[in-house]
Amino acid sequence: MQPEWMAPTSLEEALSLRAERGDEATVLAGGTFLGILMNQGFLSPSAFLSLGAVPELRTMEVVDGELRLGAMVTHRRVEREASDWPVLARAFGLVASPRVRNVATVGGVLADADYASDPPAMLAALEARAVLRSPRGDREVSVGELILGYYETCIEPDELLVEVRVPAQPEKATYRKFRSRSAEDRPCAAVAAVNDGDKLRVVVGAVAERPQDFPDLCAGEAAEIGARYAERIEPLSDSRGSAKYRRRVIAAEVRRAVEEVAWTPA
Amino acid sequence: MDPRVTADLRYSVEVERPGMLHAAFVRSEVPHARVTVVEPPDLPDDVVLLTPEDVADLGLYGCQVKDQRVLADTARHVGDVVAAVAAPTRAAARAAAKSIEVAYKDLPAVTDPLAAVAPGAPLLHAQAAASAKDAVSIDVRPIPGTNVCHRFRIRHGDVAAGFADAEVVVEEVYRTAGAAHAPMEPHAALAEWEDGKLTVWSGTQTPFNTRADLAGAFGIDPERIRIIAPPMGGSFGAKTFVRLEALVAALARKAGRPVKAVLDRAEEFVTLNRHPAIVRVRLGAKRDGTLVAKEVDCWVDTGAYADCGPGVATKMGYAGVGPYRIPHVRVDSLAIYTNLPPNGAYRGYGAMQSVWASERTMDLLARELDMSPLELRRRNLLRDGDVFATGEVMHDVHFDDCLQAAADAVDYEADPRGKGLCVLLKGMQTPSRAAISVERTPVGFVVRSASCEMGQDVRQSIKLMGAELLGCEPGQIEIPDPDTDTSPFDTRTTSSRSTYMMGRALREAVADLERDGERGFGEVRNEGGLDPDTGQGIASTHWHQGAAAARVTVDEDTGRLTVEHVHAAVYAGRVVNRAGAELQNEGSMLMGLGTTLFEAVEFADGQVTNANLSDYNVPAFGDLPRLTHELIEREGAEVHGLGETALPPIPPAIGNALATLGAHVTELPITAERVLEALER
Repeated sequence: MQPEWMAPTSLEEALSLRAERGDEATVLAGGTFLGILMNQGFLSPSAFLSLGAVPELRTMEVVDGELRLGAMVTHRRVEREASDWPVLARAFGLVASPRVRNVATVGGVLADADYASDPPAMLAALEARAVLRSPRGDREVSVGELILGYYETCIEPDELLVEVRVPAQPEKATYRKFRSRSAEDRPCAAVAAVNDGDKLRVVVGAVAERPQDFPDLCAGEAAEIGARYAERIEPLSDSRGSAKYRRRVIAAEVRRAVEEVAWTPA
Repeated sequence: MDPRVTADLRYSVEVERPGMLHAAFVRSEVPHARVTVVEPPDLPDDVVLLTPEDVADLGLYGCQVKDQRVLADTARHVGDVVAAVAAPTRAAARAAAKSIEVAYKDLPAVTDPLAAVAPGAPLLHAQAAASAKDAVSIDVRPIPGTNVCHRFRIRHGDVAAGFADAEVVVEEVYRTAGAAHAPMEPHAALAEWEDGKLTVWSGTQTPFNTRADLAGAFGIDPERIRIIAPPMGGSFGAKTFVRLEALVAALARKAGRPVKAVLDRAEEFVTLNRHPAIVRVRLGAKRDGTLVAKEVDCWVDTGAYADCGPGVATKMGYAGVGPYRIPHVRVDSLAIYTNLPPNGAYRGYGAMQSVWASERTMDLLARELDMSPLELRRRNLLRDGDVFATGEVMHDVHFDDCLQAAADAVDYEADPRGKGLCVLLKGMQTPSRAAISVERTPVGFVVRSASCEMGQDVRQSIKLMGAELLGCEPGQIEIPDPDTDTSPFDTRTTSSRSTYMMGRALREAVADLERDGERGFGEVRNEGGLDPDTGQGIASTHWHQGAAAARVTVDEDTGRLTVEHVHAAVYAGRVVNRAGAELQNEGSMLMGLGTTLFEAVEFADGQVTNANLSDYNVPAFGDLPRLTHELIEREGAEVHGLGETALPPIPPAIGNALATLGAHVTELPITAERVLEALER
């Protein structure tokens, strides 16, 4: 049986279909994640709500020094056009291959809440906020509030993630993607670090169910911070590395990331 | 313009016939069980369901051991095909396949080759009968009452005496993971019956072997079966012997219409993979580095069906001896059934797994002897006139030249730190035969050959050789797709044999044409083969020879290995199609790199857990190191096959380079995690 296909051409229409159909229709953005799940037989939706024809979701603009990325902005566009957010451009530019980055979207990568994606940790470290919209109104949530666990978010069945807002990037920021296999692989561990002069923010991605963010550990020497993150995080095991191995990588990569953002202990 | 570039080449996956139906397969969800297929009451009228009862009249098939039913009534691996459907569209077929219920009566399963040969292991096959149709000429030696479908031995000299005489002995056990061939084009086949005659269009490297095996299964004369082999979008060994052909033929027989099947990517991972293997090597030498004795034991996991596992175990066995003069050699190599998807031919055909073990052990020995690994190899390499462990006298061998070229490419002698070497010997299918025909046409010539096109551009090589022999332009030679009704017999397109064998047959055919004026026929045979009980005989009438060198660095905090440079030197004798030959080297090296660094088919309870190209990594452009290679030629030399030679030496060259930095890794792939563990051992 052919699944039902809904392709609204305005945001208003998309929001009303979402409110009406809720989780019964699978929201489709770039399709890179859904495609894998469907090819593997893990998912066979009876209805799709495709956002591909909604022009309002493709805008990318800077408002009051804040980068606003429509949910359907592709990874490739962030990579090429977010020139004042070089570390964000770098994190999006390290995802898979150009073929994937040409279709994968900013909204999709957050709403999938796939633990092994690159952008969420970087967006979290930059204190980005996602705008969730429904007939009930808008709410803004941080990445930490948005991603609750493996493939699980706080998005309600009548809400759509419509935009991601990223504050100005401090100069001292880095994204380290550690791959244990191919250059096009997902990270075995990824470290996003931002030093805004007053405080250090370190978020570790791809090692547990959601980005690992521990402000209370971000003090002291780089090596100490790395050791503490490695101790605090309960890493998972997958084909990119065992939990034991990931602890080793976290310690080394957090240390390197902190060194790169030139954090000087108070 | 190359038709592959202009999209004018019609691949196997694109073949269509009027009125054809599309197939989909119902696959076992458990590794070992008796199955009952239940037809759903609401199956649409235009869907044809094929159950094990429908194929009960058909015989067993299998290229080396007849151990496979067209549909499994006992499922022996997750993904084993237990029923099939045909429907007017691919989507309808897939929906129908999903609706079929299968009842399982579980049987004990074994998914590890060592456990499978332990006493009391569950048996996969009641008896392992050798192929009566002799699709592949190999004497199979099953061990009755066990999961061993073939064991190959070499007995050369007196190994006990040899080790008694040795002053230094090293020993190690090595493992290699299974790998996916991952051709861009998946398996595709279409079958059609007309007046009791079966025609199958299939992307296959083995049209004549497939015909013979189908004839046995369907109980009909091979002359009533026609196999047409359109070009493949890659194969690397995956499309050898009967894969989908028997299934689509049985579906078409029941449907009374042509039936076509094309696999999806996940199905590829349960159809045929590379043999995971465990190889133990014990090597003894005199203090001066002279090798005196070697023992090689291989446990070769062939999965649920033998396929060509016996041949792979044989080749793994003798390739594990290495290109060295060793007076006392014992090899025992077992092809073992397990409840995993079948494993079969994969570029390098078993050589990689044992070359990895053998060449890593050479470096262990060099270290024990405090001798340069290059010097240790040089001292023992086979040269013309030397006797190999199979008893055959070596001729036309150039291992020295290959090894030296590889060493020079990385400046090995100046500073061996972070660098590694490997030299290998690899055999060609022996015995085998190849025939070809040439016909004059008003505008040129038609050459008929069963050499199959899979991206290696064999047709271009034949055209270039033909143009030289016939005194015409390559463009004046037309080569139709292999067709068992019109192409002369060829054993198969494997083991890097086509340019060498077909080239020689073509010379005969052109001489015949000159006599006849209109048409000519040429055939060559290479005779030989090994006694599976002693490993004595002729392993190969023609040796593939090569070497590789690698330079690596390692991140000691994470174990992440960076291959900085890899070089392969392959003996070509005489190059026929330079662009094609260079691409063979590059392609082999790339696959070798994937095997070295990250390719592994992973399983949980017999189920593949990374059956997609996101979780299963193949090398990407970003993974390429500096990659250089050379084709070694000699004035007046014979053409040498080179389609696979540069693959097996890559993992040991990298592994040996890594060992100089303090990490002795014995298992492939060399993951960052394994490097870190090895650094800290």
